[in-house]
Amino acid sequence: MTIPLVPRIGGLVLATTFFYSYVGQMVPQNEVTPPQETVIRADLTTEDMVTVGREIMDGKGLCFTCHTIGRTGALRFPDLAGVAGRAAERVPGLNDVEYFAQTMYDPNAFIVPGFNPGMPVINRAPIGLTDQEILCVMAYLQSLGGTPTVTLQTAHRYYTPPAAPGAAPAPGAPPDQNAKPGEALPLTATPAQKAPAAPAPPAVPGNAPATGTVPR
Amino acid sequence: MNGAKNRKLLFVLGPVTGLAMFAGAVIIATFLTNREYREPYRAPVATADASPRVEGLVAEEADAEATARAKPYVEAEYRTFPVVGSRVAIWSVAQLHLLFAAFVLAVPLFAFIIEVIGYKTGDLRYDRLAHEFTKLLSVSFSLTATFGAFLTFMLIILYPKFTNYLMSVFSPTFLPYVLLFFFEAAFLYTYYYGWGKFHPLVHLGLGLGLNIVGTAIMLIANAWLTFMMSPNGVSDTGAVISTWDAVYNFTWMPINVHRIIANVAFGGSIAAAYAAFKFLQATTDEERAHYDWMGYIGNFIAIIAFLPLPFAGYYLASEIYAYSQTLGLTMMGGAFSWLFIIQAVLIGNLFLGANYYLWLGMGRVEGGQPIQKFIKYLLIAITLCFMVWATPRSIIATVSELRAMGGSAHPILGFFGVMSAKNTAVNILILTTFMSFLLYRRTGKVATVSWAKLGHTVQLGIFAAVAVFVIFLGVYGYFVEASVRIGLSVPQVGSVLFAMVSITFIDIFLFRGAKAGEVRWGRIPAISQYVLIFIAVTFTWLMGLMGYVRSGLRQHWHVYGVIRDTSADAFTPTLGFATQVVSVTVLMFFLLIGFVFWITSLHDRPEHVTAAKKVALPGADMVLEGAHLSRAEPRAAE
Repeated sequence: MTIPLVPRIGGLVLATTFFYSYVGQMVPQNEVTPPQETVIRADLTTEDMVTVGREIMDGKGLCFTCHTIGRTGALRFPDLAGVAGRAAERVPGLNDVEYFAQTMYDPNAFIVPGFNPGMPVINRAPIGLTDQEILCVMAYLQSLGGTPTVTLQTAHRYYTPPAAPGAAPAPGAPPDQNAKPGEALPLTATPAQKAPAAPAPPAVPGNAPATGTVPR
Repeated sequence: MNGAKNRKLLFVLGPVTGLAMFAGAVIIATFLTNREYREPYRAPVATADASPRVEGLVAEEADAEATARAKPYVEAEYRTFPVVGSRVAIWSVAQLHLLFAAFVLAVPLFAFIIEVIGYKTGDLRYDRLAHEFTKLLSVSFSLTATFGAFLTFMLIILYPKFTNYLMSVFSPTFLPYVLLFFFEAAFLYTYYYGWGKFHPLVHLGLGLGLNIVGTAIMLIANAWLTFMMSPNGVSDTGAVISTWDAVYNFTWMPINVHRIIANVAFGGSIAAAYAAFKFLQATTDEERAHYDWMGYIGNFIAIIAFLPLPFAGYYLASEIYAYSQTLGLTMMGGAFSWLFIIQAVLIGNLFLGANYYLWLGMGRVEGGQPIQKFIKYLLIAITLCFMVWATPRSIIATVSELRAMGGSAHPILGFFGVMSAKNTAVNILILTTFMSFLLYRRTGKVATVSWAKLGHTVQLGIFAAVAVFVIFLGVYGYFVEASVRIGLSVPQVGSVLFAMVSITFIDIFLFRGAKAGEVRWGRIPAISQYVLIFIAVTFTWLMGLMGYVRSGLRQHWHVYGVIRDTSADAFTPTLGFATQVVSVTVLMFFLLIGFVFWITSLHDRPEHVTAAKKVALPGADMVLEGAHLSRAEPRAAE
């Protein structure tokens, strides 16, 4: 019996489509959910911040899309194992906290030799970590080959934390944040909470700002 | 006399049928209205005796009305599509629109080129072929417009806030878009229906106009979608700074280039599938010869356009990285990295299918057998490249297997999973397919120029040198830093392009005035036609998959970094789910394109003639078919 032409062609189309669907089922199946908003409590200890920092790097920060820990050989971005030891010596005049801050707020200011520019500005969209979240990330990075010292009150040139209740306001800091121990800070800092804005990153290929008119 | 009566009867029958249908609609509506549930009659409240129940009912009604009136107007951000959800609904409709649009843009492009060849050579076969390609356009154009309107309404209904934002950014582009669409319709129908009715140069002018307008439409639409991926010309809050900068964003030009090439490849493959369908339906050698030739040309267009496509892909990917490394790494190293393994399977199949078709085609050329002995080497090269390209960097394995491997990457195969190996594989794959084309081109031919031996040697030398150079750079990439390695793909691509251009250039002069064996069109195994259909399905599926990655790359953003997706569909689905949606869309497309083929094939069917016409056309070639007669349409001159 000869199968008519149209069912034969239909069978071929179905079989081909089914085959490619099958290939699609054979690869790892990951459903990627939007990053969860993390609430950073004002009374987090440095130890807590290390744990939270690791979670942020794994999730909302998307850090491990590019960076590795403990991998050698051909790498596209610097490996972070032992980064705490190197951070204080990378750029003359910057201690580890200031260096980590620069890598996240102004990543093109210094590029690790042997690598291309590629790090996005971390406190802006699409990643958009808050200043407190970035402090937690710093705490985790300090734990990679060093001793974490960062707290939620650590200041650096891109961020001045709000003053503690009853304390004299720091220069340039907002007058009162009403933050109490144990109370959650809002995740997204309002403009009033932000320190003087970091200088806008230069629009160079490799790290264009997420928005705005970009010269080509 | 009978004919006149029939015409009168038909003249009356139309309005009578219309009136009968209208009357039927009124009767049905009346019937349904009568059967509708109605509240029993109640006396007006003012005249009814006041009782606690009646008062309660009145108060309830008044409250409901007051609540309805006090309800503030809230602009909907999202609405839900039943059963499959908003995202899948938009996804399928957009994909169908894009597939038909790609076809409608591509076919005029190569129909125009074929018509120009026909005009320059005076060979009517080319003119007929171009006309046959154009026949597919008319119905496809209507379907494109239908799905375009459907997509617009779906966007407005399901994603009103986001659509409103896009409209605010691109409002200056909408009127030109509509005007161009109107011009496209005018050019297309004049081009199709005016075939043979104008001076050839006028007709070619219409074809050129159709292509320019079609491309301009695509450029505008590309601006909208690329803005979503790499927004530019807006402030941090999304306010428009410059519409032109929003149009000319980072990925606009790469997408334009990539889409034009991909559309031609896709359109060629669908046209080849149409020819294959007609070849398999053919009952005469003449028809088989014609459709074999048409299928060959369609596939030739598809593969010639397909060869530079990976390079256009590089350009697009490099611009994505230039815009945002995060976006680039999400694509190649993050959530979508495994998608490129599926892509490798598809492209590998396309290369295998295209080469297999060419090798089968060598049999139809007289004196082609000596060339066929090289095929096994080409097959080995293609298979090896395919295997390397489809090797993932990390392998899905059990815990014990991972321990045995010492990580997720296999100690040996893991080396094939990185870009150095894959870039090398795809470049060799392209070079090998190009050689297949070259061998097919010279099948049955003997060069007669005095420098023939030198020409062959130089061609072989270029091919071997480029192959060695590409492999060397691939291996070298393992021993250098990332910043150097990324740059190695440029000389790899450049050398392959150099080989393709220079070898073709030599070949043109080498085989000028060569002795050529006869090409016996139609003498090809039927399986070759199924290969053409397989290639068309694979191309369509590939377009669906790559459309998904381009759009899905934004993840939980409608406009990357500007407008966040806060709907229930903000998550990125699994690749398995995505491939199922792609498959369903592809099947829907082939159902619809089957409909297009069927409508187009009606053109070639024998005309349906009544007995009355037989009398009116004495001497015509009539065949009795039941109560009616069928007259064979005279075939167009070959």
